[in-house]
Amino acid sequence: MKFILNLTIREIRSSWRRLLFFFLCIALGVGSVVALRSLIQNLTKAVGTDARALLTADIELSSTNDFSPAEIAKIESVIGNSTIVEARNETITTAMMVRPADPSNESVKFVELKGIEPPFPLVGQFTISGGQPFDFALLRDNGAVIAEILLEDLKVKIGDKIRIGEGEFTIRASFDEEPGGTNGFRLGGRVFIEKKAFDSAGITRNTGRIRRRILFRTSDNPGALVRQLREALKGTTITTASYREQQENMGEQFTRTENYLALTGLLILVLGGVGVWNVARAFVEQKRKTVAVLKCLGAGGTRVISVYLLQILTLGSVGSIFGVGLAQAAMLFVKWRFVDAMPAKMTYGVSLSTGFQGAVLGVLISLLFSALPLLQIRTIKPKLLLRDENNSSMTNLDWTKWIFGIISLAGLLGLAVWQAGSWKVGVFFLAGLAITSVILYSAAAVLTWLLRRVKRFSSFSVTQAINSLYRPGNQTRIILLAVGLGAFVVLAVQSMQANLVREFDFSRNQKLPSLFFVDIQKSQVEELRQLLAERTGEQPEIIPTVRARVAYVNGQPFDYTNREVRQQQGQIGREFAVTYREKLDENESVVSGQWWTASAADVPEVSIEEDMAARLQVTAGDSVTFDISGRKITARVANIRKLDLRNTRTAFIFVFRPGVLEKAPQSFAATVLRHLGATDRQRLQRDTLERFPNIQIFDVADIIATVQRLIANFVLAVSFVGSFVMLSGILILIGSIALTKSQRVYENAILKTLGAKRRVLAAILFVEYGLLGLLAGLIGAGFATALSYAVSRFVMNIKWEFDPVGMLLGIAVTAFLVMAVGVAASFDVLFRKPLGTLRSQ
Amino acid sequence: MIQLNNVTKTVRSGSDDLTILDDVSLSIPDGQFVSITGASGSGKSTLLGLIAGLDEPSSGTIIVDGDEVTAQTDDKLAQIRSEKIGFVFQSFHLIPSLTAYENILIPMEILGLRDARGRATQLLADVDLTNRGHHYPPELSGGEQQRVAIARAFANSPKYLLADEPTGNLDSKNGQHIFELMTELHRQSKVTLILVTHDHAIAARAQRQVILKDGRVISDTLNNEIGDQISG
Repeated sequence: MKFILNLTIREIRSSWRRLLFFFLCIALGVGSVVALRSLIQNLTKAVGTDARALLTADIELSSTNDFSPAEIAKIESVIGNSTIVEARNETITTAMMVRPADPSNESVKFVELKGIEPPFPLVGQFTISGGQPFDFALLRDNGAVIAEILLEDLKVKIGDKIRIGEGEFTIRASFDEEPGGTNGFRLGGRVFIEKKAFDSAGITRNTGRIRRRILFRTSDNPGALVRQLREALKGTTITTASYREQQENMGEQFTRTENYLALTGLLILVLGGVGVWNVARAFVEQKRKTVAVLKCLGAGGTRVISVYLLQILTLGSVGSIFGVGLAQAAMLFVKWRFVDAMPAKMTYGVSLSTGFQGAVLGVLISLLFSALPLLQIRTIKPKLLLRDENNSSMTNLDWTKWIFGIISLAGLLGLAVWQAGSWKVGVFFLAGLAITSVILYSAAAVLTWLLRRVKRFSSFSVTQAINSLYRPGNQTRIILLAVGLGAFVVLAVQSMQANLVREFDFSRNQKLPSLFFVDIQKSQVEELRQLLAERTGEQPEIIPTVRARVAYVNGQPFDYTNREVRQQQGQIGREFAVTYREKLDENESVVSGQWWTASAADVPEVSIEEDMAARLQVTAGDSVTFDISGRKITARVANIRKLDLRNTRTAFIFVFRPGVLEKAPQSFAATVLRHLGATDRQRLQRDTLERFPNIQIFDVADIIATVQRLIANFVLAVSFVGSFVMLSGILILIGSIALTKSQRVYENAILKTLGAKRRVLAAILFVEYGLLGLLAGLIGAGFATALSYAVSRFVMNIKWEFDPVGMLLGIAVTAFLVMAVGVAASFDVLFRKPLGTLRSQ
Repeated sequence: MIQLNNVTKTVRSGSDDLTILDDVSLSIPDGQFVSITGASGSGKSTLLGLIAGLDEPSSGTIIVDGDEVTAQTDDKLAQIRSEKIGFVFQSFHLIPSLTAYENILIPMEILGLRDARGRATQLLADVDLTNRGHHYPPELSGGEQQRVAIARAFANSPKYLLADEPTGNLDSKNGQHIFELMTELHRQSKVTLILVTHDHAIAARAQRQVILKDGRVISDTLNNEIGDQISG
């Protein structure tokens, strides 16, 4: 043991530089796993730990309809029998236009308006700017408390007046963080007013998109009460939620996200493992003589392997710990760069357990990937000291290696399952990785084969460079696989982003409206039409809309006691804006059933968008009963319709055959296609609101800018991870260069002796790595193009365009990167004197 | 005693079998200084390697101090070498990542000897390298490296010292020095010394000289007969 320890320490002392890449591969992999896991864990902690505070209550009943007296009676009877309900309040929310009362201030802003009543909040704290607790008195007599960001957006200050709907409100305070305010995507900042002000400002009268909530605080587990409420409210449109279920759902979502991200980290770690494998091979190759000497001096194979295994373990451990440090640095980078995009309560530390888990993972990967190369030590015979013949058994796979190979694979599967938290996902991950690797590897094999075909037409330097790619022990295909994979990830998300952004580009997509007006009353239609025509120079399209919800499908209500149905409640239980018309729109096509003819129908008929039809599990001929302002209308499904969202002006999920809805209470929507400048848009919105305060205007350009920002952040995040994959590839490249460096030194010495100038040798070096990078870039760009095409066309249903500039740039950057790294890692070879090299051989 | 019985070594060379040693039988009593000479490719180094268990013969048996080295596992052979055999190579084969001192220490640590450090220091002094102990092999001259290799070979006080052209990579002055050092250590420790060499002058100073040609022993003479054999 003393011998093993002593020799390990001495070997590390002298070999640590050579094993630096081993160390870096592990550190980078562990860093990725730990950073990604920590990021999502901390996010969970920041936004997800307190579902109760998010809900601001223990139980929430919500509906987009006014609660009917019958429903209230049902609720009261359940609540009245409960002994655990401590407090109750009601809220009402909608999205609404807000503008300053001062006519000289032209700002106008879409906000999330919330009407509340005391006590508020039932759960959690609400602190206004300045640190005082929120006092309901601030809202009395048309007071408003608004998000701080809105002060800036609307160019107003505390004490100023703002107009919402038909009412005028005084800003009494602002706040930075509201209870239940961190979840989800929002159109605008939050504004609090008194609940009853919704009526006095005419908001409830004019707007359909209102959500009403009744909230309860309980003194004990509300599970039983929630079940009773759900039972009592069966068949109504009221959604019942409890913080415990929310917490469970969020917990599941976060765990799933965490595990998927951890798998991305594991991918980088596995690539790091490939680097480890390379370095370990190079290391064993370089240590062949030392191993032979040790064996000659009487050390047994097991003891010698122990020395190198201990060395790998030590470096793996130190690399892993360094990786945890890297992860902490990455978290601080996120804090520095993305603090604005993160929740306010976000922390940026790596937890001890995550760090430890990462370190264990790093050590295990070091072991799994170095086991096979280290096994080569067994086959090194001391006789090579007498006659350095090629040890033929070095390359043969014997049974021990097969067994160790299978154990390594099983170990890797175990790690994948552990990280994914699921057998299925773990197996899929490994299988997916294997299939991707085989495809990329095959592509690499084909490209290198083609390259070999063309070398006879090339110059001396190019011929030598291509020869170098086939140097024994060169990991050309593995490097192509790893670097290509990195380039593939980065280029694929870039290409998908380009297509997505193009989809939302006004200058190209003429059908996308720039302004969208809703809640237009019949009496306002003509006047608004005139105003819009005057300002935009085009006749706006005006469409009747009726608010309806689905009550029954084929005579059956939705069973929200079923968890799966409940999870879809947001999509199927909500209120829809439906319309009626004679003709199919140009962006629509019927996929099953028939579009109606002009002749009268015997029963009401409806056309349903195909995704919704799938969700409701209906086909043409089925019946759907709609609840329209309390009246039930049963319609036959005449056809299922496909909506081409790329070419859309409006997108109605349900379209009725004319003759049914004309008498129902309806409002109108209008779209303006013409793309106006930001100032003109704002002025038009402001003037419309002055004349028709009930109308809601969606500034589509504004919304799309927000979506584009989200996409950009997402792409940045994925590219960031992709660049780590690429970095792993580069490390493998460097490891491979180290592996074959002695051969290169020897070849260069011979070429110099034969008269090759340094300039020629440098050219060989540049061409070799330039070609390698070019091939990796081609592989990455080729597969990225294929993936972005498939995702755009078949998943996102958007138009796909090839991006030659982006792809060429990607290939060029990859080629340059690989060339720069390859040349930098081998440049010293050019300056070695040939005599010393030839003598030492 | 080292006993070789009908030892043959054949290797594949392309598609042909190449016989390196052909039915060699030898018996070397303990304490003897034997030189083995012969032209390049005559099988000298192979013979030495087979005795040390660095390779195995294609047929025949080799017995070293009662152990049949042709019927042992790799680990058992390593143990035999550790306890009984010292080996000096033409190209030194020091471990480049260890200092001169540590190179001498290694065999003793493998064997688990006590006071290995004291003995390593003494051995360094014996080969006159006390001040060079902390240097790494590439920092030493060829002669110095070979002296370290000799000290390393003697570290475990082996019964047999096998030297494969130990002066072959050195100039004549250094070569002479190394030879003197080995014969001196042989005299002092009564070790069996088997020396492979090209140098007839050195070979002539051995107690017994074996000459190989094309893998066969063509001459095996004691010291006073050598002159007659060569001239004859």
